[in-house]
Amino acid sequence: MVNGAAVRVQGLWKRFGQQVAVAGVDLELPAGKFVGLVGPNGAGKTTTLSMVTGLLRPDQGTVEVVGHDVWRDPVEVKARIGVLPEGLRLFERLSGRELLGYSGRLRGLPGAEVDKRAAQLLDVLDLAGAQHKLVVDYSTGMRKKIGLAAALLHNPEVLFLDEPFEGVDPVSAQIIRGVLERYTASGATVVFSSHVMELVESLCDWVAVMAAGRIRAHGPLAEVRGDSPSLQHAFLELVGAGGRDHGSHLDWLGGGAR
Amino acid sequence: MSTAESLTPVVVRLKLSLLRNGLRQSAGRRAAYISSVVVVLLLAALQFLGLVALHGSEHAASVTVILLAVMALGWAVMPLFFPSGDETLDPTRLVMLPLRPRPLVRALLVASLVGIGPLFTLSLLVGSVIAVARGAVAAVVSLVAVPLALLVCVALARAVAAANIRLLSSRKGRDLAVLSGLVIAIGAQVVNFGAQQLGSAGLGQLDPAAEVLAWVPPSSVIGAVDAASEGSYGVAVARLAVSAGALALLLGAWSRTLTQLMTSPDGSTLQAAEPSGTREHGSGGLGRLLPGGRTGTVMERSLRYAWRDPKTKAAWVTSLAIGLIVPVFNALQGTGSIYFACFAAGMLGIQMYNQFGQDTSAFWMVAMTISSTRDAYVELRGRALALLLISLPYATLVVVLTTALLDDWATFPEALGLSLALLGAMLAAGAWSSARFPYSIPQEGYKNVAHGQAGLATFSIFGGMIGAALLCAPVIALTIWLNVDSGGDRWTWLLLPIGASYGTLLTLLGLRLAAPRTAARLPEILAAVSRA
Repeated sequence: MVNGAAVRVQGLWKRFGQQVAVAGVDLELPAGKFVGLVGPNGAGKTTTLSMVTGLLRPDQGTVEVVGHDVWRDPVEVKARIGVLPEGLRLFERLSGRELLGYSGRLRGLPGAEVDKRAAQLLDVLDLAGAQHKLVVDYSTGMRKKIGLAAALLHNPEVLFLDEPFEGVDPVSAQIIRGVLERYTASGATVVFSSHVMELVESLCDWVAVMAAGRIRAHGPLAEVRGDSPSLQHAFLELVGAGGRDHGSHLDWLGGGAR
Repeated sequence: MSTAESLTPVVVRLKLSLLRNGLRQSAGRRAAYISSVVVVLLLAALQFLGLVALHGSEHAASVTVILLAVMALGWAVMPLFFPSGDETLDPTRLVMLPLRPRPLVRALLVASLVGIGPLFTLSLLVGSVIAVARGAVAAVVSLVAVPLALLVCVALARAVAAANIRLLSSRKGRDLAVLSGLVIAIGAQVVNFGAQQLGSAGLGQLDPAAEVLAWVPPSSVIGAVDAASEGSYGVAVARLAVSAGALALLLGAWSRTLTQLMTSPDGSTLQAAEPSGTREHGSGGLGRLLPGGRTGTVMERSLRYAWRDPKTKAAWVTSLAIGLIVPVFNALQGTGSIYFACFAAGMLGIQMYNQFGQDTSAFWMVAMTISSTRDAYVELRGRALALLLISLPYATLVVVLTTALLDDWATFPEALGLSLALLGAMLAAGAWSSARFPYSIPQEGYKNVAHGQAGLATFSIFGGMIGAALLCAPVIALTIWLNVDSGGDRWTWLLLPIGASYGTLLTLLGLRLAAPRTAARLPEILAAVSRA
C-alpha cells in the first residue's frame, strides 16, 4: 500500500443544528506517511476523523480508506484501521491487560496471539507495572498509551489518532513517538490531529491545515511551510490570526502588585 | 476592621445573593421555589399546630424525640443528595481566598441558618418544646435547647457535606455515591415495614426507641426539656451537655476537614501516582469457563461490568433484591400468589434494556469491531447469554422458593413456564429497544438518564415492558384457559416446556431483529449513548 492514497475524502459535510462543523472537505492522504491534521480548537478535526473512521455519519460526501468505502464496505475497512478517538471513554472498569485482551478478541484474533501482543505492547509502552490496575485509575498519559496499544493490537494498515499527545507528559510522549515512528517505518500510515505545531513539524512528513471546517492547505511539510520560519508562522498566516496585538490594553500588567 | 469580624455578614450576603440570582434565572424556577416555600411553610404551620395539640399527651416526649431524630437524619443525608443545592456549602470555591478556618467556620455556620430548611426545623423545635415543656424550669431549658438543637442540625449537615466532598474526590468514593440510590430504595422498604408495624401496634411501640434517642443528640435536647418538666434536673443538664458536646465535636471535625480540603491536593491525582497493587483475583478463571471467540469475550466483559461498574452493579442489585423481595415477602405475609414469582424474571430482564447505554461512549470500541449483521448478532447474543447466566438460575430459584413457601407444587410447572416465557420476551424486547432507543446513562451521581433523554428512556423501558407482556400473551392465555377449563388441570405441566421453548424462540427472534438495526445504526447509537 505504499503507492496511492491511504485515505481519500470527497465533499465531506457535517452540520450540527445551525453550526457547520465540516464544510466540504476534499483530501487525499498519502500511504506510508506520518500525516498531521492541524488546526485550532473547533476547526473540525475531531468531526472529520470521526467521519473518516466510521464513528460519525456524514451529511454528505464519501470516504475511502485503502481503497474501500467506509460506509459501504465496513468489513474491509474496520479490519484495516486502528483508532484512538478523543473525548470517548474506554471500557474503564477493565484493567489495562483485560482491555487489550477484550479488544483483540473482539477483533477475532486468536487468544494466545492477543495475549502475546498485549504483553509486548504493555512492555514497550511502559505500562507493564500498571497492567492489573483498572483503566479508570490511570492518568491521562497512561490512558492515551493503553488506547494506542488497543489501536495497534491488530496491526492495522492505517492508524487514526485524535490528539494523541494532549495532556501527555514528556516521557510518555517520547514513548508514543518511538512506537509510532517504528510503525510508519514499516510502511504503515499514521494520521493524527493536533494543535501543537512544533510537534507536528517535528513528526510529520505531510500535513493538512484545517480551520473553520475547511482544509486551508495540504501537502508535504516543506511545501506547506513555504518561506515561513516555522509551521507555526505559516499556520497563523493561513488562518489569518497573525499580527494581532493587544499589548497596549494591558499596560497595568506586571511590574509589581497593585 | 479585621477579616474575622467582617467575614460573617459577607458570607450571609453571598448566600442571599446566590439565592436571589438563582431565582432571577427563570420564571419556572421562581415559581417552583415560591411554591415549595409555601408548601414548606404550610407544613411547618400544620406540624407546629399538631405538636402544640400534643401537649399533655403521654406519648408527647416519645413522638417529639423521634421526630427530631428523623429531622437530624434528614439534615445528615440532604447534602449527600443535593451537593450543589447550596453553593456556599462548597468550601472548595473559597479555596483561593486568604481565609482562616475559625472565622470561616463561624461564617459558614451562620450562613447555613438562612433558608427554609432551618426555618422548618425551628418550627419543629419550638412546637416540640411546647408539646413537652411543663413548668418554669423546663421553659428556661427550652430557651437553651432550641438554638442548640438547630446548631447541631446545621453543623451536622456542614460536616457531612465537607466530608462528602473529600470522599467524592476519590474514585472509590464516587463509586460509593452511585450506590447511594440503592440505600434509599432499601431504606424506603425498611421504613415501609416499620410504619406497618407501628400502624398495627400503636404509638406505645415508640417508647423504647425514644428512651434511647433521648440521650442521642440533637434529640437529647427534647429529652432534657422532658426531664426538666419531670423535675430530674440532673438528667436535663446531662442531656443538654451531650448535645453541646456533639456540637463541639461536629464543629471540630468540620473545621479539620475544611482545613484539609483547602490545603491539600484532591485525591484523584494522588491515587494515580500510587504504585500499583496486584489485582488479579476473582475473575481469573472466568474466561476459561466461557465459550471462545466473540461470544465468550462479550460475556466476560458484561459479567465483569456487573460486578465492577457501580451503575451496572446498582441496577443488578436492585433487580435481584426486588425480584426476590416482592414474591417472597408477599408469600410470607400470606397474601401472595405463585405468579408473583414471575417478578424475578421481569426485573432481571430489564437489564437487557439499553445495553449500549450501559457501555457509555466506550461503545465506540464495540462499534469499531461490528462490520456485519452477524457481528452485531453475536455481540447481542453474548450479552443476553451473560444475563441468562445469572437470571436463569435466579428466576428458577425464586419460583422454587415462592412455591415452597406457599406449598403449591401443583402450580410450580406453570409458574416456572410463565417466568421463562417472560424472561425470553424481556430479552427479545430489550435487545430490540437497545438497538432502536439507546440513551445515555450518566456515570456520576444517582441519575440514570442524561438531560433531555428522559422521554426516550421512559419510552424505551415502559414500551419495552408492555411489548414484552404482549409477546407473552399467548402463554398467559394458555395458562388461563387450562386453569379455567374443567379438564385443563391435567395438562398444566405442559406449560413448563411450552413456556421455556416459547421464551427461547422469542429471544432468538428478538436478537435476529435487533442485529441488523444495530449494525446499520452504529454511529447513531454511539451519538445517543455519548451524551453524558
